[in-house]
Amino acid sequence: MREEIRRIQEAMEREAYVTDRATATAVYLSVTLQKPLLIEGHPGVGKTEVAKVLARMLDTELIRLQCYEGLDVATALYEWNYPKQLLHIKLEEGSDRSVREKEAVIFSEPFLLERPLLRAIRAERRSPVLLVDEVDRSDEEFEAFLLEVLSDYQVTIPEIGTVRATHTPHVVLTSNRTRELSEALRRRCLYLWVEYPSLAKELSIVRAKVPGIDERLARDLAAFVQAIRRQKLTKTPGVAETLDWARALVALGAEELDDDVTGDTLGCFLKDEADIRQVGVEVASRGVAALVADGVKPG
Amino acid sequence: MTAAGRALVSRTTRFCRALRERGVGATPAESADAVRALSAVDLGDRADVYYALRALVVSRREELATFDELFEEWWGATVDAAGARDGRRKGPPHNRAVHAPTEAPRPASAATFLTRWASAAAAADGDDALPLAVPSPHDALGAKDFSAYTAEELGAVERVATRIARRLRSRPSRRWRSGRRSARLDLRRLVRLSLKTGGDAVELAYRERKLRRTKLVVLCDVSGSMDLYSRFLLQLLFALQQAFARVETFAFSTRLVRITDALARDSYREALDELARLPAGGWSGGTKIGESLEAFRTGWPRLLDRRTVVIVLSDGWDTGEPDVLGGALRLISRRAGRVVWLNPLLGSPSYQPLTRGMQAALPHVDVFAPAHDLASLEALARHLSL
Repeated sequence: MREEIRRIQEAMEREAYVTDRATATAVYLSVTLQKPLLIEGHPGVGKTEVAKVLARMLDTELIRLQCYEGLDVATALYEWNYPKQLLHIKLEEGSDRSVREKEAVIFSEPFLLERPLLRAIRAERRSPVLLVDEVDRSDEEFEAFLLEVLSDYQVTIPEIGTVRATHTPHVVLTSNRTRELSEALRRRCLYLWVEYPSLAKELSIVRAKVPGIDERLARDLAAFVQAIRRQKLTKTPGVAETLDWARALVALGAEELDDDVTGDTLGCFLKDEADIRQVGVEVASRGVAALVADGVKPG
Repeated sequence: MTAAGRALVSRTTRFCRALRERGVGATPAESADAVRALSAVDLGDRADVYYALRALVVSRREELATFDELFEEWWGATVDAAGARDGRRKGPPHNRAVHAPTEAPRPASAATFLTRWASAAAAADGDDALPLAVPSPHDALGAKDFSAYTAEELGAVERVATRIARRLRSRPSRRWRSGRRSARLDLRRLVRLSLKTGGDAVELAYRERKLRRTKLVVLCDVSGSMDLYSRFLLQLLFALQQAFARVETFAFSTRLVRITDALARDSYREALDELARLPAGGWSGGTKIGESLEAFRTGWPRLLDRRTVVIVLSDGWDTGEPDVLGGALRLISRRAGRVVWLNPLLGSPSYQPLTRGMQAALPHVDVFAPAHDLASLEALARHLSL
């Protein structure tokens, strides 16, 4: 294995992010080749976490752009500070500057409000990590605009001119696949698909993130989650839900996973009424132990 | 460059070409990047090579299986990929022997009868026979059971429909326009205007979101020659109707029937019952596309305007006069925002739109696209927002 890849893997583990070679290699290449990294996977498998860990690892700023439908350039790139502009015009009332001069002043640097994309491009110290979260939720027009920015890392502000990145940001995009992303954007990026973790991996994640959890409790709950992930649920629980549940059990002082405590805490990792009913019935009829046994068997 | 380096470049380039042939779109730019990537990893380590190439060349989850298969074929020895063996997806295959040459993998979610269709189409590649019922000029009487599909297949169609509907939803567009009432101040313009008055906002400027609104009219051919697809397409229509309010749906074979209300039921089952009760122009009978389109144009003229996309789902096998079809479609296309003709046969490589009906229709069609599998329906979404 390339030394750097191992080091990245180790560094990610140090940041309590349990990773694998696929992720470490993708992150390494993304930084080395300066290509954006597109991460897809089910909700709650730790896609966003990759960017956060990367920023901590590189000891650099994490700039996050949360996408949503209707996200526009003013929110993503820049906006003028209108109140400040108005105030300034007011203060300059008595001066004998021409309108043209006044205009040049109020549409200049000090009146510019940076939004995440511009901030990422203008980072002064070193390359920041730019996290474009849930890019599938933005609309096509924004995606096209984003592609443009990611192609040459420069933007044009009519009143100021073209701003070019001095330090190319490390870009991480995440998508939950609610919408198919454009081919062009996909081609521009490295690709990483994150699957639900295996039992062993999920157990290490629980150990790393919930220190002090009883070993047997951790084993049982990881196996239980594996078992119910194989069922057809409306919302399959991700790793985030497993961790919520583990923390809840620790807070409740539970020492083992029995039918009662499981039944009471289903809401920690199941987020849909029908799912809670379905799993509740199964716990009542078969017992937690049977489900845990299912989870230990390879799927 | 060393000899070994040149060999690597050539091997990687050919590997990418092989992937392209299997439908994994590795562009030349990506092969170039792949070479760069390989020089950044440990070439002696198969796993490094595997993960590096995978991150670069693959760009969607569905391509992973094909990539794994080809990687083994091309880079030989097995890869120790313990880390990749998370969850249900298999990592790179360990044992060559178990991988007999297979057909290109298809997404597991694709409806089984579509797979059957695909294999039938592949079998028909040799001779010219297409898996078609011959169009007959007679009405076939009686209702048909459309429901022989599994929940999983229905689920896949539903997801596509939801995506399409999402794109069409009346949503505030990202663009603003100057507005008068109940709008937000347009600060950008306001600042400029108040320069004249020394910072006093004498003239106010407003803005509001433009509304984007697309309507759909779907005309679905349910005649005998469309039998293989129309049940599947009806599922799509049902799901579309559920997810998106502004769609009007018609079915036709020899006559035109409005089925919007029948589709607007709570469950697919009820919708099917309702459809069976309609005084059908004969499901799976002969086809009079031209007359049906003309009936739509004259019977529901108000459904057509510039914000409407008209979708015709048909294979173009018309037993009526081509002139009638051409004429009706010309008038429809003049009034509608866009006319999309979806032809399931277009997905078959040997198909050419030579039927007289299709020939008459094509000049008046803005988008002529296939509709034989889920992927093509997904691609359709692109043509639907005006």
